Amino acid sequence: MEVIDVKNNTRKKIIIELVEERDYRKITKSRYWFDWNTEKDHLVYKLRLTGSSDILGLMSLIHYEEEKRFAIHLLAVSKENRGKQKAYGNIAGNLIAYACREAVRLYALEGCISLVPKTELKSHYINKYGMLDAGWQLFLEGRSLLNLLRTYDI
Amino acid sequence: MKTEKLSKKYTADELAASFVFRNTLTAQQTQDAAKQLAEARKKLQKQHSSQDLLYAGVLQLRYQIEEYINSTQYNAHLSFAYFLRAYIKLSYKNNKDFAKDIHIDETELSQILNGHRDPSEKTLIRIELHSVNMLPALYWFRLLEKEKEYDLETDYALREREEKYVKNRLAFKPLKKKS
Repeated sequence: MEVIDVKNNTRKKIIIELVEERDYRKITKSRYWFDWNTEKDHLVYKLRLTGSSDILGLMSLIHYEEEKRFAIHLLAVSKENRGKQKAYGNIAGNLIAYACREAVRLYALEGCISLVPKTELKSHYINKYGMLDAGWQLFLEGRSLLNLLRTYDI
Repeated sequence: MKTEKLSKKYTADELAASFVFRNTLTAQQTQDAAKQLAEARKKLQKQHSSQDLLYAGVLQLRYQIEEYINSTQYNAHLSFAYFLRAYIKLSYKNNKDFAKDIHIDETELSQILNGHRDPSEKTLIRIELHSVNMLPALYWFRLLEKEKEYDLETDYALREREEKYVKNRLAFKPLKKKS
């Protein structure tokens, strides 16, 4: 798994793992937009560069076991990695691909990832991540999910 | 209100590359959303090809092995034989045909699957090639190592048997921890 160092157009290896209790002290609203303390009952993952403890992105998943599905409840890239001035690219994509990995690890082809998009962002998620339209929700399953894993080389 | 602030700063494309926002659906909309998703998934599942099924099955094994070999825990159930059985099951009705395809003796495969014999390096490489590199020989090797590590760490009988062969041990007392 790698992100792109925008300045040098090089790739950097990353690690995605569960957030630990002590991480919440440095997960501030100003840098990661949301109040992540509300997500402690969910599966919260952090993305960091290999060899660094700085968190570049966060994702909160809800696991619906009976549906073989993970819902992406929240996701945020750190402040300095958003927009045109971002330092690293592909942070959100890697986090979403990691959610896909977890779905495949547990449920093979039956695994599913879903999210409820803001209406104005819907087409962008579809174009960017190959998500499928299910009305209120977008989802990845089967071929679309496998394609995203291939794109991010996970 | 806050999200509007973000919309002024970033384009929609940049927002989609940085966020998934908290959903604001009403109870009724949430119910409708669940129904819509279930229907869309049902429709999609009918279109799964056997190739996708096999690919996802191998990928699942790859992720499960990665998870296990990268963890510090030992689980007797998750042995080399367990994963090899699962791999064979994905595309074979019996072990004999798999043994034939990787050119090893059926008895040898049976001994490996029953934990009575270690696979040779050649066998590990052949499994890697058979899986089109999805399950590298190194993964299989690490599974074997994990078993050996555990055996070595917990073989107290061997330690007792070897006692008598060791003389002139280093003479020092272990340092006490500072309080």
